Amino acid sequence: MKNLLQKFYKWVDERVEVKGLVEYMGKKYVPVHRNSIWYYFGGVSLFLFIIQVVTGILLLFYYKGSSDLAFESVKFIMSKVQFGWLVRSIHAWSANLFILSIFIHMFSVYFEKSYRYPREMTWVTGFIMFLLALFFGFSGYLLPWNELSFFATRVGSDIAGAVPIIGPPLKTFIRGGEDVTGATLSRLFGFHVALLPGIFTIILGIHLILIQRQGISEPLHMEKKKEKEKKKMPFFPNFMLRDLLLWLIVLNILAILAVYFPAELGHKADPFSSAPAGIKPEWYFLFMFQTLKYFPGHVLFIEGEVLGILLFGAAGLLWLLVPFWDRKSARGEHNRLINYLGIFAVMFIIILTILGWVS
Amino acid sequence: MKNLLTVLIILTLCSVTYGMQASSKDQCYNCHAQLGGEPAELFKYDIHHKVGLSCSDCHGGNRNSDDMEASMDKKRGFIGVPKGDGITEVCIKCHASEEKMAAYGFKIPTNQFELLKASVHGGLSTNGKDRIVQCITCHGAHGIVKVTNQRSPVYPLNVPKTCSKCHSNSVFMRNYNPGLPIDQYDKYRTSVHGILNSKGDPKPAECASCHGSHGIKSTKDLNSSVYPVNLPSTCSKCHSDKKYMAKYKIPTDQYEKYSKSVHGIALLKKKDLGAPACNSCHGNHAATPPGISSISKVCGTCHALNAELFASSPHKKAFDEKHYPECETCHSNHLIITTTDKLLGTSKDAVCTKCHTQEKLPKGYLAAKDMRNMIDSLKSAQMFASKLIDEAEQKGMEIEDEKFHLRDAHQAVLEARTAVHSFDRKKFDEIVVKKGLSVTTEVIKDARASIDDYYFRRKGLGAALIITILLVIGLYLFIRNYEKEQKNNL
Repeated sequence: MKNLLQKFYKWVDERVEVKGLVEYMGKKYVPVHRNSIWYYFGGVSLFLFIIQVVTGILLLFYYKGSSDLAFESVKFIMSKVQFGWLVRSIHAWSANLFILSIFIHMFSVYFEKSYRYPREMTWVTGFIMFLLALFFGFSGYLLPWNELSFFATRVGSDIAGAVPIIGPPLKTFIRGGEDVTGATLSRLFGFHVALLPGIFTIILGIHLILIQRQGISEPLHMEKKKEKEKKKMPFFPNFMLRDLLLWLIVLNILAILAVYFPAELGHKADPFSSAPAGIKPEWYFLFMFQTLKYFPGHVLFIEGEVLGILLFGAAGLLWLLVPFWDRKSARGEHNRLINYLGIFAVMFIIILTILGWVS
Repeated sequence: MKNLLTVLIILTLCSVTYGMQASSKDQCYNCHAQLGGEPAELFKYDIHHKVGLSCSDCHGGNRNSDDMEASMDKKRGFIGVPKGDGITEVCIKCHASEEKMAAYGFKIPTNQFELLKASVHGGLSTNGKDRIVQCITCHGAHGIVKVTNQRSPVYPLNVPKTCSKCHSNSVFMRNYNPGLPIDQYDKYRTSVHGILNSKGDPKPAECASCHGSHGIKSTKDLNSSVYPVNLPSTCSKCHSDKKYMAKYKIPTDQYEKYSKSVHGIALLKKKDLGAPACNSCHGNHAATPPGISSISKVCGTCHALNAELFASSPHKKAFDEKHYPECETCHSNHLIITTTDKLLGTSKDAVCTKCHTQEKLPKGYLAAKDMRNMIDSLKSAQMFASKLIDEAEQKGMEIEDEKFHLRDAHQAVLEARTAVHSFDRKKFDEIVVKKGLSVTTEVIKDARASIDDYYFRRKGLGAALIITILLVIGLYLFIRNYEKEQKNNL
């Protein structure tokens, strides 16, 4: 077996000279320390993205992006297409795990201060991908054209419409008109399967090139150690094999979720019916949705909801620019404020999500 | 006899003396009676004249003056012939006042004008100023007598003619309601009510008996006594009154039975206006019980398919020969209860065995038995399919298409119930077997496949998990060995 693999490697190497690339990757090291586990979530996110692309293409073979046919085509996929139910359920679960994995990856990078010099661009591209992933979720949620997705999109786009100045045109742009209609579905379908994957792939490419060029970030406490004292493992094949091991486990989890909790379809959207009680957005928007509920009607001269959106916008901007204002970490010093802010953000998201879930 | 003659002479003298006294005080009547003419001639019999009212009470002027100019002086309130609503205004001076009516010794209602105003006749006429109907339109002007007086135009025997003056006049009626038929009077004369009425019997229903008098509403008005939901109780006012109907020797339990029937429950309790009221089967103005051979036609106005199938069935001829009242033979008439499959077949609740027994007409007996068995089989299959669909649904399987197809099976049951009326095994088979059972079998097959798929998914997952776990273990061991080798090489 081993000989066979070596023969195959040699055969490939003779033709495309991969030795150099393997040696290059073999010279790249991943720091080994007590928090090394978090490094894997970048790879898990990538794996889940690949699953999304593959299952998304499979769904695209049967999905029809019009308000007359969308629901029926998803129903057809679920009931008539061989393993269609499995592909759709994996796509739906993988989407959720993808966003969860990005959340974990982003916070682990934040707490390790891996965004600091010289990796500011890696952080910024990562944050953009996080926003794109959220928009992936928002646009994909409407595609089955069922009751819940229809009204959740209406609520979601209403919130976007409350943003001062750019809100109303943004809302019209998302909806493709005044209200959520077939035009919204066509538009979000276009975003979901063409525009977003295109942009995402480009930014992902930049993100990965940056990682390859700059290497894996070491935590602050390791930087101060001598080179000999640093524990590390080669990126290829050691880290990559471990990555592969985790991917297989994630695949197993996905399969169990898809079989035991298949994606539901519900009832077809009826724009003329009243919204079902307790309509909620997807879990990753829930903390924002719940927070906006707590804002009073008016705070001084400004509407409560508008103030909430502005605050979230400001927090997001602060988060995006953290490599630029956290000068202490850039200098290699510990910055406790960053940790406190991060803990607050995590607690805030978890508590508000739970409150939104149970309310 | 002698005593009776004496009483009559005294009464005649009294009335002549009273008449002389009354007329002697009423100079209007004195002159107009001498001058002659219809008004004065009619007024002689008028109830108002008899209670001492003068021409001037309606026309104004001075009743005590024998001078023509003084008596008809406009300064003394003379209005001449009242016109339009002015006519009714004159009547209601007394007829809307309980006190005035009591002063003349009458205890009749005083709300006629209020009722008229709210009635369909109280609307504006084509001139846009006055009401369509004034009091005199129905009651006449100078010869008004009590309603119970046979001379009255609103005496029961005269009401149809009075109403038809307008309602049978196409030129007049098209001004107000061109869509309203004008043949009510002609139809009425062919009805049991109308025939008895024309024979001089005042008890059978005439126009006012059903529609009311002063407060007549449009038939589309919820408060109309002939609005579909109110109609059965309107008919029952007479038809459920044993004493009133005794003379006609017909049952008086129709309303009681009807209100318990499937039609009665639908109309009276569920307010389903599509359900038949009395007039749907008996007709309204031409009300009469449908003839034996036309019952299926009457029922067929709603139950069209059943009637059509029955008409071409062998039962039609047989029933006609035996004078069986078609639909009514199996379903009864006023007390038609919700039809169930129990009526079909040879069990004790079945109606087929009334005529078909194993000994007598055995072919029909066997056909009835088979048809019942087939419809029962279809229902059982449908129930089984429904159970499987529920099971698949509870397992989280997508089974909407099968659910939709099961509706076809349900439709086949409904169609089979209709097809019974053809009393034709072949037609029945086509629906039950070819349509119903084939669809149900297909649904059962798909539902089972869906349930099997559920278990297949779990088994497939198990297999996939085993393969992946083996891969994980293999990879783990490979990494361990590889790193061991790496360490040894260092």
